[in-house]
Order: sequence, then structure tokens, then C-alpha cells
Amino acid sequence: MKYKADKVFEDLKRISKKSIPVRTLYEKNRVRLSLRSVNGLEKSKREITDKNLHRPGLALAGYVDLFTYHRVQVMGNTEIHYLQSLPPKQREAAFRRLFDFPLPCIIITAGNVLEENLVAIATEHGVPIFSTKHETTKAVYFLGDFLDDQFAPKTVIHGAFVDVYGIGVLFVGRSGIGKSEIALDLVERGHRLVADDIVMVIRKGEGILMGSGSSLVKHFMEVRGLGLIDIQSIFGIRAIRFQKRIEVVVVLEEWDEGAEYTRTGLDSDEVTILDVPIPLVRLPIFPGKNVTVISEVIALNYLLKHYGYDSAKAFAERLKSIIEKKAEAEEKSDPMIDWFEHDFE
Amino acid sequence: MIERTVTIKNKAGLHTRPAAGLVKLASRFRSEFFIRKDGIEINGKSIIGVMTLAAERGSQLTLVFDGEDEEEAARTVCAYFDEGFGEP
Repeated sequence: MKYKADKVFEDLKRISKKSIPVRTLYEKNRVRLSLRSVNGLEKSKREITDKNLHRPGLALAGYVDLFTYHRVQVMGNTEIHYLQSLPPKQREAAFRRLFDFPLPCIIITAGNVLEENLVAIATEHGVPIFSTKHETTKAVYFLGDFLDDQFAPKTVIHGAFVDVYGIGVLFVGRSGIGKSEIALDLVERGHRLVADDIVMVIRKGEGILMGSGSSLVKHFMEVRGLGLIDIQSIFGIRAIRFQKRIEVVVVLEEWDEGAEYTRTGLDSDEVTILDVPIPLVRLPIFPGKNVTVISEVIALNYLLKHYGYDSAKAFAERLKSIIEKKAEAEEKSDPMIDWFEHDFE
Repeated sequence: MIERTVTIKNKAGLHTRPAAGLVKLASRFRSEFFIRKDGIEINGKSIIGVMTLAAERGSQLTLVFDGEDEEEAARTVCAYFDEGFGEP
């Protein structure tokens, strides 16, 4: 069956989480953010449903009309100092007001300490409180990044993903066309395998696609006729990497007489994965064609473009200027003589 | 296109041997064959893909067949699941 790249990328199943349990947030950030569980509710199954954070200053002050209570609540110096500025009774009432809403959890930053009677209110409502010694800005940065990742759209692509000269090149094509063999060849030439067969793709921020292997398969690869091989054990640590930004997609196709392939590279193709446009190269293959070397050139050419040099455009410019010069010149020159003029060897 | 839901019946789950058997079986047909589990969809003709699922006993998989011989493929592959890959 013919491999239709556009359709394959259009049909990709998006996987995105609707919610994560609070315990996951705690477990994944415990070390990184030195999170400490204040009221022993770190095993809570309360759900976080929003990737954004919220600072409940206004809610403490009494304005709860637009209170985004479903977000993780971050209480920094401002909130804590505000609470301390209130007389004890009002302080308790202000804090208690937050729990009219089903909060997922509260994070106290900058080494602040919440009074015991206030902690008790949270415990009574089953809301976990964590504290960190890090400043609010840093905590918000880390937590935001973590939640962004957790809620980021993901998908799985059938292909081989290799870091070629630092450029993430994703090979796709029908099964059996030789994606794994090309990846193996690239590894042999000193490039690094990220994943073969199953490529997990996640969108980071806006416009960045990261690819990685699945945790089970890691850097195993199936080569038809050989079976399963372990790239890391055979080629060593230099031959692998865990994740890489996807920068170019290469579609491997059987050479098709009828199809038109770009001859100049001026009209560049694109494919959209998880709403991110990625340059696409259609590569017709046939026996005897060295796809590995071409892949290296694809990566290097992308690198050149990234640094502002477009080979195809540069050639077109040169041609244009020579034609213009010719038109201006009065005497026609002999191209062969001009070419050899400066070569004395 | 045909969709079928199957359950893993054998004790050891979809480990290497049945995964290899499944891929071999599926490769006999021209139809495309995908397996879905936990929101992930993989190519059922790829051994690495099938093993990525790490499907344990009792887990449910959705099989998708698409192509000219999809009915025969669905029947054969589902039977392989139903007999627990010939394992206890």
C-alpha cells in the first residue's frame, strides 16, 4: 500500500491529559524543587486540571468572582504577609474562604510558614499543602514548565528518529522501506539514534516538537533478518540520545516515474505535526542510492539555512547576476576561456 | 476499516513470543493493521511497536484493520488473541 505522508500526519492521534493527580506533581518535583509536604496529604488523588498556576491574593482579600480555584494555588511572600497583617479571627476567615472552592493543592514558596491553625483548615478539607524554600519566581517557573509538559499534546509516529550533526531528522515511510537500516547506517557513521519504530512526540511551548523513544523500548531496534538489536550496547553511549527536537521530516518513497520531485530546492515543502510546521523532504529511493549520505546533506543544508544561507536561493541569485552582466557586456566572452583563466596548475 | 476489541487472556501477557507470532500473522495480510491501547496507536506489523504496548493479562486492545483483505485479517488475528496465543 502506498505511503501517503500528508494523510498519515493528518490522522495522527493526539494524546493529551485532561488531569493529573496531585501526588504526581509532588513526586516529580520533590527533589527538583525541594518540595516538602506540610500536612501529610501528599498521596492525595485530587486532580489538577489546568496547566496554569494562580496566586490567590485577591481571593484572600475577598474577591472571588473570577477565582480560578481549579488551578494550583501558589502563595508567596505577598499572600503570607497579607494574611499576617490581619487580626487572627479575620485571618482565619480569609483563609477559610478559599476552601469554599475545591482547590487541587496549595504551594507555599520562599520558605514561608503557614500557621498551624490555618494548615488544619486545609487538612480538614483534604487539600494538600506543600512548601518550598525557592522564591516564587523560580517555583512558578519550574512548576509552570512541569505542568506545561504534563498537559502538552502528544502523539506517536511510526518512524526512525536520528540526531544527524545536531539536527533532529525524522524518517518516515511505509513499513519495510528501510527506515531502521538508514538509522543504523547513520549510527555507524557517528550519528546518534533517538528512537526507532515508535517515536513519542510532544509539543513544548509553541512551535517546538520534541521526539523520544518509549521508556520500554529505549534504543532497541529491529533489523529485518537479524531481529532485535541493542544500539546502546553495540555502539556505546555516543550512539544514542534520549530526546531531540524534531527539525526535518524525511519521507522515504519508492522511486515513482510519474511523481515530481523538487529539482532546485526553491519550493520547500512542509508538514504540520501537532500544529507545528516542520520542513519536509521527499526522498525517492532506489537500490544503490546512498540515502545515508543524502540524509547527512539534508541535515547540513538545514543547518546552513538555519544560519541564513539557502543553497538553492544562493545559486539562483548567482545565475541571475551572471545573466544580467552578460546582457550589459558589449563583447560576448567565451565561457571556457573565462573558466580556465585563473588556473595555472 | 474494521475495529475489534480484544482482551489478553494468557497469564504472561503479550510478551516477546506472542508479539512475534502476532506480527508474523499480521504480515501475511495486505491490510494495514494498527493496535490501540491507552490512547497510543502503533503499527501492528512492527515487533517493537507491539512490544511497546507491554499489554498484561486482562488488558483490552483495539485492533484496527484497513485494506482489501481486512475481514480475513480481522478473523485470523482475533482468533489468535481469543486462544490466548496458545498459552495458559
